[in-house]
Amino acid sequence: MVTQILDPTDERVPIKRQLTPRPEALHGTIALLDISKPRGDVFLDRLEQLLHERAPGIETKRFMKPTVAKPAPQPIKDAILEECDFVIEALAD
Amino acid sequence: MHPPTKFSLLDAEGQEKQFPPDGPVLLALVKEDCDTCNLTLPLLEAVHRDTDQGLDVWVAVQKRDDIDVLKDRHDLTMPLLDDDALDLSYETDIDTVPTLFLYDEEQNCTLQTFGFDKHEWREIASESMTLAGRPGVETSIDWESLPEQRPGCGARNYEPGVYERLQALKSGDLLSRLVDLASSDDIHEFMYDQGYTDGFPVVPPTRERVWKMLQGTTRDPQDEVAIVPPNLAPITVEKVAINAVMAGARPEYLPAIIALVETACTESFNIHGVLATTMGATPVGIFNGPIRDRIGMNYLHGALGSGNRANAAIGRALRLCARNVGGSVPGGTDRATQGGPHRLTMNFAENEDASPWDSLAVEYGFEPTDDVATLMAMSGGPATIADERSRDGRGMAGTLAMSMSCMQDPKSPMVDTLVVLSPDHAGIFGRSGWSKDDVRECIMEETAIPLKHRLRSDDAGAGLPPSVVERFGGEQALDYPVPKFQDKSNIILVVAGSSAAKFSTILGGWAAGVYSTPTSARIGTDGALEIRGRSGAGMDKRRSGGKDLGAFEPRIRRG
Repeated sequence: MVTQILDPTDERVPIKRQLTPRPEALHGTIALLDISKPRGDVFLDRLEQLLHERAPGIETKRFMKPTVAKPAPQPIKDAILEECDFVIEALAD
Repeated sequence: MHPPTKFSLLDAEGQEKQFPPDGPVLLALVKEDCDTCNLTLPLLEAVHRDTDQGLDVWVAVQKRDDIDVLKDRHDLTMPLLDDDALDLSYETDIDTVPTLFLYDEEQNCTLQTFGFDKHEWREIASESMTLAGRPGVETSIDWESLPEQRPGCGARNYEPGVYERLQALKSGDLLSRLVDLASSDDIHEFMYDQGYTDGFPVVPPTRERVWKMLQGTTRDPQDEVAIVPPNLAPITVEKVAINAVMAGARPEYLPAIIALVETACTESFNIHGVLATTMGATPVGIFNGPIRDRIGMNYLHGALGSGNRANAAIGRALRLCARNVGGSVPGGTDRATQGGPHRLTMNFAENEDASPWDSLAVEYGFEPTDDVATLMAMSGGPATIADERSRDGRGMAGTLAMSMSCMQDPKSPMVDTLVVLSPDHAGIFGRSGWSKDDVRECIMEETAIPLKHRLRSDDAGAGLPPSVVERFGGEQALDYPVPKFQDKSNIILVVAGSSAAKFSTILGGWAAGVYSTPTSARIGTDGALEIRGRSGAGMDKRRSGGKDLGAFEPRIRRG
């Protein structure tokens, strides 16, 4: 398996996964992803409540991974991508 | 083969063993699937037991998993060291196992051998006993039962693939930044995401592949080849090799790719303009000389298209160098309005045997035996010319002229145009006794139309500005015939393809060829031995003149 390659560029730009630019404000639909860790639902319930209080007009949608141990199934990723503008993932218990 | 002076390896129990130990030592390098190693390991064990701690016997095994196998198979008690990474094997540069080094108490290597030669092994065993303080005492080895000689086996560090990996990792030749991939990364998706590709998948440039590519030239990997626009970034031989790997090239193409990069980055060729223009130009490479066959280029069926590795990869490598090192990316500094598929790669060899004329390289002043690549900046075409009826030079040239008269638009003058004649079309000229210049002059004549028809007008906005009329003497010049091409040398004639049928191809030059001159490189093992821009053509005069088509000076043929 290839784990390292040589940089074909002039090396002016650092190699990194670029973060998506931060938006100016929250809008549209926010995905709240529970990764099936204990009490993730408690955390996301509270977060959802706060989001609706502080950013009126936004919508939220809840998603849950079937297991904490594996990456999210593609249908969940596709649904978040297609239906939502942001995603907040509750990572740990 | 160099006796090591210092190293450390883990033994079978995972304990680090520092070399040299105190006192004399017999060091052996072996591998499991070697009959001679298996023949000699019991002899080494006997020396280990007979010297009774007066001398260390260390055996480095070239694969970690083989240590326990050998230990059990031969009931070994001497230390077996793990050289799975082949660090020791690489450092000593052994090419055969078993290899033995005997060191005295001052760590001088006094004897060494490889394979099995009974005389030499017996001498080493005897000397081992002496170094262990038991001079004159025979080992327990039954020498009479052993063969006189057995060849060794190839060392693992010289196996195909392994050798390249070791060189790539340890030679210090490669200095480019290493890009780590996560285990979850798909290499092809990752490389696309980083912007490294032209849209198609590329070959991942691992260190092994790049090192192997660099064997195609004797040039130092860190030599600077050129400054690549638009970012004006220096490109080293190593960076060319990385992009050549990605393009799918073989090491024997590398000198040609280096030469093309050098050629493209000359002021004469002006790759900056070629790749930045909104007209969507691209470098087209034409190869002449013995290199065509040496690296397996295709100049027969489908010569201008897909299916041949050398044709495809060399042109693609140049484009990837321009993209990855020069920073020429569509939508960035590459402002092509539409572009075309030939911007991925366009590179071919001339079918010199099928041509009735001198090759392009010879026409440009090189010898037939020179390996030459000529770059031209082309933006239009490839467009097919079909003529299955012409039987003489006049008819064939007429077809070419009529086809070429509408390039870009019917009114505008052109400078460089590349005509790739099929062998059948070229043969018509050959049988008619027509020279290249005969063809060109006929095209000049046949494409000439009155100046008034080359002027911009309300019903067709393209064409020359009305201001040119005054420069040709006013209104009486309106009926002067003006050829499509500024100079006959702008009609570039080459031959490629098979004798399948009577179809040829034309490619239009960029911006009437004003800003980029066809530029040729004589190729050596290290890249370009010599680079020449074509001289004598109209564009050279234009380079110091105005850039607006209003400054165009058509060659007027009176009467």
